[in-house]
Parts: sequence; C-alpha cells; structure tokens
Amino acid sequence: MNNYKLLGRAGEGAHGFVFKGMDLRTEKLVALKKIAINPSSGVPKNTMREICALRALKSNHIVKLIEVTSMGSSVVLVMEFLPWSLAEIIKNTSVSLTLPQIKAYTKMILSGVNYMHQNHVMHRDLKPANLLISGKGILKIADFGLARIYVNEKQRVYSHQVATRWYRAPELLYGSRSYTPSVDMWSVGCILGEMINGQPLFPGETDIEQLAIVLSTLGTPTEVTWPGLAQLPDYNKIAFTPNVGKRWSIVLPTADMVTINLISRILIYNGAKRLSAREALKHKFFFEKPLPAKLSQMPKLDDVKSEEPQWNFVDFDEVIRQLEN
Amino acid sequence: MFPTSTQCKFWMFSSEEELNKLRERANIKHVQIYGRQINDSTKYDFFLSPEEEKIMVKRYELHLRDFCKRFQPPMPRCVVGTSFHYFKRFYINNSVMNYHPKEIMVTCIYLACKVEEFNVSIQQFVSNIKGDREKATDIILNNELLLMEQLNFHLSIHNPFRPVEGLLIDIKTRGSLHDPERLRPGIEHFLEKALLTDAIMLYSPSQVALAAVLHAASKLQENLDSYVTDILFGEDGKGKLEDLIEAVRGIRSMVKMADSVLDKNQQKILDKKLEKCRNPENNPDSEIYKRRMQAMLDEDDDLYHAISAQNQSLDNSALNMSIPDSPEVA
Repeated sequence: MNNYKLLGRAGEGAHGFVFKGMDLRTEKLVALKKIAINPSSGVPKNTMREICALRALKSNHIVKLIEVTSMGSSVVLVMEFLPWSLAEIIKNTSVSLTLPQIKAYTKMILSGVNYMHQNHVMHRDLKPANLLISGKGILKIADFGLARIYVNEKQRVYSHQVATRWYRAPELLYGSRSYTPSVDMWSVGCILGEMINGQPLFPGETDIEQLAIVLSTLGTPTEVTWPGLAQLPDYNKIAFTPNVGKRWSIVLPTADMVTINLISRILIYNGAKRLSAREALKHKFFFEKPLPAKLSQMPKLDDVKSEEPQWNFVDFDEVIRQLEN
Repeated sequence: MFPTSTQCKFWMFSSEEELNKLRERANIKHVQIYGRQINDSTKYDFFLSPEEEKIMVKRYELHLRDFCKRFQPPMPRCVVGTSFHYFKRFYINNSVMNYHPKEIMVTCIYLACKVEEFNVSIQQFVSNIKGDREKATDIILNNELLLMEQLNFHLSIHNPFRPVEGLLIDIKTRGSLHDPERLRPGIEHFLEKALLTDAIMLYSPSQVALAAVLHAASKLQENLDSYVTDILFGEDGKGKLEDLIEAVRGIRSMVKMADSVLDKNQQKILDKKLEKCRNPENNPDSEIYKRRMQAMLDEDDDLYHAISAQNQSLDNSALNMSIPDSPEVA
C-alpha cells in the first residue's frame, strides 16, 4: 500500500468502499477498492471472482486491474481510475446522447462483451452503473463480482439470482439455472434501449413486476417464441393474462428502423436465437449512417470530483473520519 | 490461456534444484530470526532442517489428498488440484515452523473451494474436520488472507484435467487408438500422483496431461507415439518435439518417485520436534497468539463502528437525491 497515496473517496461498492488514489510510481490515478471481509465466511467469493476474471481479461474495454494487495485485515483491489459511469451520463440532463454517440457506446460495450465471452467469462451483472468511462471517453466494463467462467461442454447449473433486476434476462426471471452468456446480451439490449429513451426500458420494482413489464412489451411467450419455456423452474408458479405485446416503434419512439432491427434481435425470449456480441457487432447499425461517433465527439462530464479538496490521507480510516466531520 | 496466466509467469520454476533452494532459504531465514541465541552447530537439534521440512510438507500433502477424498459433499478434481498448488506455493517461501502445515492445508482447501466455485459454507466445510470445529473455523478464517498474500493474490490455477479432456477428444477424432475411454483409470491414477510431486510447478498443465495419457496407454500396452509425432505435432511442430519428449520423460520419472513411503517412526519424532520449535506467535494454542487475536478483534470493532457511522451519514444524504438508483442485486 506504500505505493499509493489516498486522495479521497470515489464511491461505494457492494462489498465496501472505493477510494481514489494515486500510484506514486506512475503518478496515475487509481481506484482502490477495499473489500470488507465477512467475519463468518472470510474473503467474499465475489472478490475471488473479480480477481480471477480481471486477471484473465485484458482488453481496451474492460477495466484494468493493476494489482491486488492487502491492508490490515482487508483486501484492496487497485484498478485504473475511471471518472464516470454510463449511468451518470444517462442521468445527466445536460447531456442528451446523439445516435452516433449511442452507437459508439454500444460498439464499445459489445467489444468488451465479445472479448469476455470469447474468453469464457460471463459477466451476469451488466448495467449502466457498471460501465465506466475514462476521461478520453472510452467505455470499460467493470465490476466482475458476479462473473463466472463457463464451460461449454458441461451441464453446469448456476444461481439465477444474478443481474440487477431491470437488466435481468427473462430466463433468469423464470428461475433458469442452466443459462448461457446470452443473458449478458439481454442486458446489453436493455442498456441500448435505455440510452435511446433516456430512462430504463423495463423498470420493475419487484421480480414479478419485472416479468410483467417484459411480457407486456414482448408479448406473452409461447413454446414457439420460446422453446423449453414450460420446463423453466418458475414457469408454472405464475400466470399472466395473454397479450400480444407492443411494437418496438411504440416502445422506442425516437429510434430509426436500423436501431429497432438490432434491438428486436437482441431482446427476444429465446436465448439461443438472441444475437451474440460478435454477431451484433456485424449488424448494419454500426455501418449505416450516421456512423458511430469518434472519441473526440463523445460526451465529457465536468469533472466535479476534481474540485474536492485533495487531502493526503494516511490510511482508509482517516478518509472515513474526515468524511464524518 | 495458460501462457498469459499468473501461474505461467510467476509460479513455474526451472528445476527441482531451484525449488529446493527457495525452500532452503525460507528455512534458513526462519532459523536466523528465531534461533539467534542457539549455537550454529546445534541449531538443527532444535529446529527442523530443510530436509525435515520437506518431509513434513510431503506428509501433509498426503493428508490433503486423503482429506479431499473423504470430503462431503464429494469434491470436484479441480478443487483438489488447486489446493495442491496453493499448498506447494505457500511452502516455497515459508517455513513449516512458522505456519503449521495442518492449518495451512485446510485453509488452502477452503480457498480452493471458493475460487473453483465449489459452493460449501464454512460450517459444511469444517463438519469434515474432526475435533474442535469452532477452533478450526477461526484458524481457517484467520489464515485465509495470509494465504492469499503469500500467493500474491494469484488465485487462478490451470490444472491438467481440461487438457486431458482435449487430448482424449483429439485422440478420438484424429487418432487410431481403439476406445480411448479405456485410458481414464490410468490417467486419473497418474494425475493423482503427479499432484504429490513438484512436476506441476515445473511443467505446463498440458505437458502433465500428455504424460498422463501416454503413461495410461503404455499401461494398456498401447502405443501413442505416432499420434504424438505425426498428428499432434505434425510437420510444423517437429522442432518442439524433442523438448516435449524430454518433458514427458521428466514428469514420468518424478511421478514414479512419488510412491516412496514415509517412515512412521520418523514422522512421530518430527511431529514432536515441530511442536517444540514452531513459532508461538502463529500457534492458536499459545497465549501470545490469543492476545494478538483479541487485540485484532478490538481493532475491528472500532473500525466497524466508524464504517457504520459513515453508512448512516450516507443513508441520510441519499434522501436528498431525486433520481432513484437502480435496484441492487437480489
């Protein structure tokens, strides 16, 4: 830890605080993710997953793990510092994303997802808050706490309680435990829709409501639109009034035909038919005008965080004490 | 990908001599620090010698194997393989006199369960341990971070099991061997023994896998030489063939040596010796250890209060936010 100077707090993860710091060797900003150890089970498994996944994945569109170290009785993940997330950009009312910018972000998300799927890792929790953006405007996938290495040949079962609800694929909502990386593609579709509409596509408050919203948009699934549907663990637990769903042009009123074509091939029930990241990258969405924006044309948020006093902290506890005062 | 892994970059060694030198260095360092008042000529009357340390480690590797075999629910092979790697890595740079192998062994297995996604709770885990389970829980949880540090947080392990599957598929599709599934028992047996040797830190997982397959074939009086030379390597790989043959030979001879039995009497003597010379600071039964743990607990309590106070203030400040955050993972 002596290699880093603490500069303040950067945010809060599910397992502890994230601090902003500087690597004294390179003078580069870093994010220090301090993992609180669970007294009854030790170092969280999510931390193991994140360390293993990030060590194996090295891509321009995946957050870089610089090193892992420890401090006192906690683990600290040192990562490149990325000032914003896509969530902040979508929420920020002074920015309204243009189609070229949406295309550029979507392309960067898909590149990261494609890379990670090729390396047999599924993320399982893609959402705007986990898509971080560098000062130069490069989008990088972060938070691999739910990432799983998957093995094609084996019928491995997974937990279905993954992914933040709004971005959770319908097979997970129905309790599937043998899903595939296509669950990540569902999330990508939701994120693309959210960038277009400026608000979440399927904002369910409960798991049941989540399913209801998805079904009311896509229409009630059948064995034709979703083979194997009736075998899903929770399929028989709940019945919805049949409906035909909505047209995408109603759901995404500002989207053009090409955009609707892409999204309608990602947000479908049948995971096997859902476009893969590699297929989606070849879609005409990215090759028809308007073309994806260049990095220089991507939104830049004012770096409000840099206006914070730049304390020199001795340790994490002091940051917390300072913040209390 | 093994070639880009931390295992390949940081935990592969050139020879058994290199490994033994590192182990010897850990031993000497320990003896220097804790044996300052003891005369050089008599120091190994009290402390374990590097050779004796090796015997201890070897013996606990056998315990590790048996513990994993008996574990309920049954444990996947990759958990076993990963545990072995962790255990061996730990004692490259640490003396058994500083950290007792029985404690590190269970911690390695517990960590491997987590990393390999073999989901067992700590309660389930310690129910496999005889004796005081509460104490075992404390020991494991107290040692987990130490172990991770000693592994340099290099947690992903490439085991030879998947390369074996790849080779079997390849032999079935491109080779001419009748019913390659017959090789499995021989392969299993070979790999189990390979884990007890240094081979897994000297040779890549795919080399170990190939050695296992070739060994299993020769046990069945089958010959896969032409598969290796003509099909697996073919024209392009001719240059690498010699190194590979050398590697396979090396692995097989190390595995052959894995059978040597340990002398029971000598074990008892070493056990007693270790009880006397082990570092009391890391012995859960010693007073000095208990005091230190209590001090750490008190410190954690203070930190916990600070953090919960901090969370409180965050909760309050969040009330001013107009846009709700997306719901967290259930």
